[in-house]
Amino acid sequence: MTEIINVDKLTKKFKIKKASHGFRGIFHPEYKSVTAVNEISFNIKKGERIAFIGPNGAGKSTTIKMLSSILHPTSGHAEVMGLVPWENRQKLAYHIGTVFGQRSQLWYNLPVQDSFALFGKMYGIEEVKFKRRLSHLVKLFEIRDLMTQTTRSLSLGQRMRCEIVASLIHNPQVLFLDEPTIGLDVTAKEIIRNLVKKQALEEETTLLLTSHDTDDMEKVCDRVIIINKGRLIFDDSLVRLKASYLKKKYVEITTDAGEKIRKEINTAQTSAQKAIDELVKQYHVTDMTIENPPMDEIIKEIYKRD
Amino acid sequence: MTNSFFAKYGAIFRISFKQAWNNKANLSGLLFFLFILLFIYNRLWVVIGIQDNVSGYNAIYIWYLLLAEMIILSSPRMERILFNDIREGNMAYYINKPISFFLMRYTEGLGNMTVSFLIMGGFGTLVTLGLTGQPPFAWHHFPIIILMCYISSAINLLFYTGVGLCSLWLDSIRSLGMVVERLAFIFGGAIFPLSIYPQWFVNIAKWTPFYSIYYLTIKLVYDFSWYNLFEAVLLNTLWVSAIVGFVIFTYRKLIKKVDIYGG
Repeated sequence: MTEIINVDKLTKKFKIKKASHGFRGIFHPEYKSVTAVNEISFNIKKGERIAFIGPNGAGKSTTIKMLSSILHPTSGHAEVMGLVPWENRQKLAYHIGTVFGQRSQLWYNLPVQDSFALFGKMYGIEEVKFKRRLSHLVKLFEIRDLMTQTTRSLSLGQRMRCEIVASLIHNPQVLFLDEPTIGLDVTAKEIIRNLVKKQALEEETTLLLTSHDTDDMEKVCDRVIIINKGRLIFDDSLVRLKASYLKKKYVEITTDAGEKIRKEINTAQTSAQKAIDELVKQYHVTDMTIENPPMDEIIKEIYKRD
Repeated sequence: MTNSFFAKYGAIFRISFKQAWNNKANLSGLLFFLFILLFIYNRLWVVIGIQDNVSGYNAIYIWYLLLAEMIILSSPRMERILFNDIREGNMAYYINKPISFFLMRYTEGLGNMTVSFLIMGGFGTLVTLGLTGQPPFAWHHFPIIILMCYISSAINLLFYTGVGLCSLWLDSIRSLGMVVERLAFIFGGAIFPLSIYPQWFVNIAKWTPFYSIYYLTIKLVYDFSWYNLFEAVLLNTLWVSAIVGFVIFTYRKLIKKVDIYGG
């Protein structure tokens, strides 16, 4: 498979104004430098589905913004489809799609189909091709019923499906998804994950997904890059990550007495099935959740082993 | 300019036009405000006319007021829209699309402005005819006057878009927006024609863009001549060049800053 993204020692530093008192601060402001991304390097092959994982403030979004041509790096080099993103913004725009979970690209007061039509024009897609493409995406993302609704009337999960369709209209080869499941409930998250994966597999789209939710990477991606404090600390397949660091699960049950009991399961030693069976035998369970260890814990574990 | 350029921005214009058209509450409020304004000022000019024993004051000044309000009120608050885009970082999320962010926002504003302009024009013409009777212009000049006013509205929109770009250096745009708006009212003769002010005041006003954007254009409604039309076109063209120059300079600085700081 050919490499589609090359990143070499990419660094981004932000100059931040220090809070100051009095007139001196107005005329001679002081700045401090904050390193958001620190010399990270990696390559991505066509069709790979990468989870870009890290806690808040790790530098995930800054990296995505540099690769999707929004930000200019302080140093280092990157190429997406052979183009330096920040030097070829307009050219690259036709090959990449972006979804930022916390920002909407759809027109708020208009039916979503109008926003899609606008994106078709923006990318200069011929009418016949646009109709064919839209009809395919509408079917794939199951949004036929939402087409005539205004963006403001959609739920967050429905809106996210439409946002992803909008970013795929021009058939990009690379899709950047920055926190696409943020704020969604469990069911909506599951729907988004399944649809994104289905689309990527069907069209061989290279996917770069940032999240601080480890479930996103497990359900969608085949490779994981973990960054923390701007530094790349893990870059390997999901299978390897699971084998090495995702051995723990947390099971939380609620008993009929309303008591909440949390139990840690080491899946390398005990199967999840066995552990749950024991809990069910011991208590009268009314509710149960199974969670992966939080991001911070995985990172701590990676550091410990290093 | 290619066909795809017009297709792209034409689509933005249409979508924004449709969005503004669907906002019935906003349009109703605008028309209600216009009606109250025309009604009150009409009464004012009728009373002044009776005192001065002159008839027809109200026809001249109410048509003047209508066109002034069409230019001013039809523009969306571009300076506030751009301030939010720049300060909240929305702008960064558009610069990786095959489109110019500035032209996109301006075209959106134009679509929005066109709806308000047409609605106010239609409604205002009927109300003003009802209030004042015979208009102070020849009907065959009316399309030219309206076209000039539409162009002035588009320049006014461009001017406030330029004001919005100043958000690059400011922590708040409200105060600058209000100062510019007041200056426009005074030096553009937005409520009363500049002809009723002293000459020294008019001489100062002539050095501001508001003189041609508002006064020279609107004056055509009661003092139409090919010379006045030519003067308005020429001065407006000069001011558009100056505003475009400022916008390009500021926008380049802004893009550089977004390059560094992003969203």
